[in-house]
Amino acid sequence: MQQTFPFTAIVGQEDLKLAVLLSVIDPAIGGVLITGHRGTAKSTAIRALADLLPPVKVVTGCPYRCDPTEHSPDCPHCSNQATLKSQIQAVPVVDLPLGATEDRVVGSVDLERALVDGVQAFSPGLLAAAHRGFLYIDEVNLLEDHLVDLLLDVAASGRNVVEREGLSVRHPARFVLIGSGNPEEGDLRPQLLDRFGLHARIKTLHDIEQRVEVVRRRLAFENDASAFVASFDKEQSALRKRLQKAINAKPKVTLPESALMLAAQLCDRLGIDGHRGELALTRAAVALAAYEGKKSADPELVARVAPLALAHRLRKDPLEPAADDERVKRVLEEALG
Amino acid sequence: MSQPSLTRMPIGGLVALDVPRLALMMLAVDPALRGVALAAPAGSGKSALLHGMRELQPDLPWVELPLGCDSEALLGGLDLEATLQQGRRVIRSGALARAHGGFLLAESCNLMDDGSANTLLGALEDGVVRIEREGLSLRSPAEFRLLTSFDPSEGAPRAHLLDRLGMIVMMPTIRAGEARASIVRRHLQPDAETWSDEAQLLRGLIESAREQLPRIKLGDAQRRELIRTADALGVQGHRADLFAIRVARASAALGLRDEVQREDLELAARLVLLPRATRQPEQSASAPPPESPTPESTPPPEARDEMDSDSKPLPSEEELELAEEVLESLAVELPDALASLSFARQRSGRSGSRGATSGQRGRHVSSVPGLPRGQRLDVIATLRAAARWQRVRTRRRQGIALTSDDFRIKKYRSKAGALFIFAVDASGSMALNRMRQAKGAVHALLEQAYVNRDRVALLAFRGHEADLLLPPTGSVELLRRAVDQLPTGGGTPLAASLVASLEVAEQAKRRGFGNIVLVLLTDGRANVGLKADRSGVDTEVKQLAHAVAATGIRSLVIDTQRSFLSQGNATQLARALAGDYLYLPNAQGTAIAAAARQVASA
Repeated sequence: MQQTFPFTAIVGQEDLKLAVLLSVIDPAIGGVLITGHRGTAKSTAIRALADLLPPVKVVTGCPYRCDPTEHSPDCPHCSNQATLKSQIQAVPVVDLPLGATEDRVVGSVDLERALVDGVQAFSPGLLAAAHRGFLYIDEVNLLEDHLVDLLLDVAASGRNVVEREGLSVRHPARFVLIGSGNPEEGDLRPQLLDRFGLHARIKTLHDIEQRVEVVRRRLAFENDASAFVASFDKEQSALRKRLQKAINAKPKVTLPESALMLAAQLCDRLGIDGHRGELALTRAAVALAAYEGKKSADPELVARVAPLALAHRLRKDPLEPAADDERVKRVLEEALG
Repeated sequence: MSQPSLTRMPIGGLVALDVPRLALMMLAVDPALRGVALAAPAGSGKSALLHGMRELQPDLPWVELPLGCDSEALLGGLDLEATLQQGRRVIRSGALARAHGGFLLAESCNLMDDGSANTLLGALEDGVVRIEREGLSLRSPAEFRLLTSFDPSEGAPRAHLLDRLGMIVMMPTIRAGEARASIVRRHLQPDAETWSDEAQLLRGLIESAREQLPRIKLGDAQRRELIRTADALGVQGHRADLFAIRVARASAALGLRDEVQREDLELAARLVLLPRATRQPEQSASAPPPESPTPESTPPPEARDEMDSDSKPLPSEEELELAEEVLESLAVELPDALASLSFARQRSGRSGSRGATSGQRGRHVSSVPGLPRGQRLDVIATLRAAARWQRVRTRRRQGIALTSDDFRIKKYRSKAGALFIFAVDASGSMALNRMRQAKGAVHALLEQAYVNRDRVALLAFRGHEADLLLPPTGSVELLRRAVDQLPTGGGTPLAASLVASLEVAEQAKRRGFGNIVLVLLTDGRANVGLKADRSGVDTEVKQLAHAVAATGIRSLVIDTQRSFLSQGNATQLARALAGDYLYLPNAQGTAIAAAARQVASA
């Protein structure tokens, strides 16, 4: 089996790591967008994610891996069953390659069976494969527009409806969308930008010591992947435990009035339309509290995740010289007095 | 034995191409270097060199990719004919999978369309091809090494693709008469026997180097030196750091040494770091490095001890010196690398489409699902799409059963000409120099104007106004007459130049030019306004720049400011124009022309 570079072995890029971990703790935050320079561990971090995700209970035999504790009326399999058996399975991290065509994304007629038996059977696509997991799109800014629209649609509704070739299928498709890209290669459409809960901007490390460490670890990994991965076993399993603990603790974390006020104030002062901003911001603060073992998501935590949750939602102002995250920090300082 | 053809000469038979040849040898030694890109003008022997790899590694798979091949040729897909005949799914593997374990030759990677380039770089990175299309879901191994080339005057390939290749070779133009003569002689009188001896020799060398490679020692200081050089050149990301280390080791291995030496590091910097540079290093060789404290700010000894204990260790003198030496060895080639490769681009918030595939004219690049409402139906693609479902559908109907899902419409990429407006700052002492650069650039653009259907306009600004020296034209002759005599000196009316450029652009738009590029050669310091007094000059320029950006004109600001101290004016201007910025105080006209053409084709 091909080994993946361990998440805990990634040097620096704290924003990226935090954003990803928070959406593991609370998938409802709404996905992560990662933008930044070429070759800065964007894909490495996402591919490393699968190894950290705590496994979940799924309905035995269900092709969409439904949650047995939850009624799923959209599932063609589970909605017809009286009793559901369950089993433990790993959470999927599905990679959407750029050349993918629509029929493989949403699912289509099973080609082989159509050709061989002349039978129309539904073959689930990548959206089905990503249900209850993560859907990763590298170079999301280069994805064709019609596919992006489709993904946004499904991500918003949580279900996938297929009407083609005389087939009529609907199934649940709730996933965390993770996109990465380099804005120098083409800008992201503003509608798409706003749909992501968090946005991590990453840069090339300029600290020589860190850069040396990046290279040292990468070379060690390429030299002997198994040994390298084994040397990070301890860190990996510690992080896995911490995530599981945070997931369990999250429902009990409280969000004080003062934190809510700060979130609303920030969004208002930054002129952010709609309420996605506040929702993502407070959810991220709660997830951070759970991750750090705190019982309450205090304003201080809201402030820490604000650049991640808000910077990409600001309206473009050609006369504004400051970068978006600088503006968020400035308003934060004003709000905190 | 067959005569070697003119474009496929054995690798041993070429002369004066030592660095490119070395790059290929290193790629043969270390597959983790992923690939080599040769940047050179047409007819410089790059194709022959790349083909020569086949003789160095005759036993490995070898796949040549034709220019303009589509995603299906790269990825593979359903073999429709065989599938229908045999009644079971038959897969035809694509070029990427066929190249697994060997080499993929794809020339002119800068002319490759975005879709294919993305597919290629994805496979290069992961060593796997993933197909999720047209009802197929497949994974096949595709660990190949990419051999590619491009002619920088036709625009640079996507930085993304280049970044994934270990080595980018900017090939020297062969000037020496004897070397040229020798090439011609060898072409005319091929001496196959000598060559095959030489190729055998090189194969042996590769073998021993490959055995030597794991034993090569590269010191910590040397590693730092490469990384520090990468940082100084503004190289993005960390792939380059790794590639540089690998090149240094492969170079030592080919030298049959067991440790990395100065020349190996320099070669690594030249082949890996230099082409990826995004800026000139900030300090000159004589200036003190920023990390070392200046005498005035040196803290008293006790405070210093405290500081040292929790701050990072300062780089050793020796380490810095090494990095500087490497940088110095690159100094001559740096400006050209910055201008002709795509890494140095600073895109500032350009929005909107790239206007790539649209309309009904131009080259047919792909077919996409869709109903043919006002667009051309691709009959073949539609039938192909329908064919796979016939067995299901014919149960219901007679003849070929088409449904709306099958329709494929053609997408075209048109090649309308671009208009380049050169606005040259004729004020100040460097005016003549800038004018020379602009003339060279305009000349270079006009030479290819016929092929690309481009037009060029030239205006100069000084004193209080901007003069249109050359209205939009495709003629070299007009240029020669227009700029023979030019007054220089005086104030810098940047605002006036932007107004004049806007006027030229508006007129051109009415005549149907959609792709307009403004190239500004200036140090960016405006001091004469239109209406504003001195204090309002900057605001005025900024507003006009926004207006230029709003009309969809793409801009490239060439900063000719020699001193680093007052840099920043031109950067701000570029930002206000939502354009690209290049720092090129001494560039050749041809380099500027190449950069301008890249903006036009971005």
